[in-house]
Amino acid sequence: MNLAVPAQPFWFARILWAFVRREIAALGSYRIAALLRLLGFVSVVASLLFLSRFVGAAVNPHLAGYAGNYLGFVVIGVLVADLQNVGISGLAHRIRAAQMMGTLEAEVATPAPPWMVLGAPPVYEFGAAALRATGYLAGAKLLLGLDLSRANWLSVLIVAPLVVAAFTGLGLLAAGTTMLVRRLNPVANIVGSLSFFLSGVMYPVSVLPGWLRAMGNLLPLTHALTALRGALLAGAGPSAMKDSLLALLAFSAALAPAGVAVFVYALRRARDDGSLSHY
Amino acid sequence: MNEPAILVEGLGKTFRPPAGLRDMLRGRFYGAPLEALREVSFKVSRGEVVCVMGPNGAGKSTLARILGGLLTPSTGRAVVEGADAAAAVPALRRKVSFVVGDERSFHFRVSGRGNLHYFAALHGLSAGTARRRAGELLERVGLGAAADRRYGEYSRGMRQRLAIARGLLGDPEVLLLDEPTLGLDPRGARDLRVFLRDEVVRGSGRTAIVCSNDPAEVRALGDRVLFLEAGRLRGEAGPDRIEAELGL
Repeated sequence: MNLAVPAQPFWFARILWAFVRREIAALGSYRIAALLRLLGFVSVVASLLFLSRFVGAAVNPHLAGYAGNYLGFVVIGVLVADLQNVGISGLAHRIRAAQMMGTLEAEVATPAPPWMVLGAPPVYEFGAAALRATGYLAGAKLLLGLDLSRANWLSVLIVAPLVVAAFTGLGLLAAGTTMLVRRLNPVANIVGSLSFFLSGVMYPVSVLPGWLRAMGNLLPLTHALTALRGALLAGAGPSAMKDSLLALLAFSAALAPAGVAVFVYALRRARDDGSLSHY
Repeated sequence: MNEPAILVEGLGKTFRPPAGLRDMLRGRFYGAPLEALREVSFKVSRGEVVCVMGPNGAGKSTLARILGGLLTPSTGRAVVEGADAAAAVPALRRKVSFVVGDERSFHFRVSGRGNLHYFAALHGLSAGTARRRAGELLERVGLGAAADRRYGEYSRGMRQRLAIARGLLGDPEVLLLDEPTLGLDPRGARDLRVFLRDEVVRGSGRTAIVCSNDPAEVRALGDRVLFLEAGRLRGEAGPDRIEAELGL
């Protein structure tokens, strides 16, 4: 049998498709878990609805830039924080699980380049998270009256790839360090908790003191939230969110190569110390 | 010139395990080095089946993992079908298949067929070719009827057969089999040995390295036996001399 090696983009597409099919097949056996996850999110969004009624726009001048829409503000905050969580924990978690299950060594033993083997899970996770976020936004609009009438979808399309690139860089850093230290996910722990505190997931960063705001500006989630809330709630065009776009571009340019470098080093170390199937 | 399918020269592997917390606090990040292989050299001709025997911890799996490109050697070199196991890893993986006997290496919640489809994609096969190839191999290893059952429901023997089917997906020139009948009952082990000998190795003329501690397996499969002990190659013999060499 002649097995010609396909061009890399086609090869990766085949792996991604096979991975998605395998995940869907496996998901079928986790129906209750999927249902519980949905119920969990519904309860969070419902809590936020009542919180938004309690807080109200009148007592919150900090929400003026978001058309006083606290429900939209906090739903977008939770969804984008979830997207970041997928980025910084998803790949690391997948690698740990594959190491523990023993599938990682078998996958890396195939002719597929390691970036393809390890690239399919985050692409799938981001795709699934984006679909989930779209579904939840639609659900919040239909069921809870979330107001997206001013949304600038062109701006969303411009911001989204930059957000994904920045979160992917963080994810590669997290995955690399997790492979190196084997157990903890220090990047996820540090960035996750700092982001929740400083990036304005639940409240506008304008309520923070200046020095905390400055620290928050060092986190990509802060700029992702500013840009996406501006686009979705206030209809901001690309020029109006130039600062956030530039910050996200800088994070992507710095984090993606750093993440790849750490990850490649971690893989080389795993081949050296035989830890591809250890935990 | 007739080059060997596998050439191993002065191969060595030393692991440096991470230190315990107390040593790390003293600034020592690695424990005592562990020498798994030392100065191992041998050749394997094309179509030859060489078995590697030795007690647990002798270095058999380390040797197989180096030949499969999963571990980098510390010293020496290993060349498989012209591909250096340390440097030319992508080329090596198109020629070699490492059959991992580890049951955990498949997705438990997915069928045998679904698992093979995924690994076929990792070999670069299109969806149509993957379906055809997986179907053929599942029939060949006797799992045709169970192909759509979840892997988690497979018996140990079925899992080993699926691992062999996965190893054949890319039609490799060299097969590395690590304890292929480990944990099987005597009848299951005998049937699998016959299958390996007639269908997988002898029938195809493939070169193979089989790591095993089972004399019956080695006699059934091997042309030649290498004996490893504490990471060193202690000697080699024909399969009829196993008991004498092992002092059984």
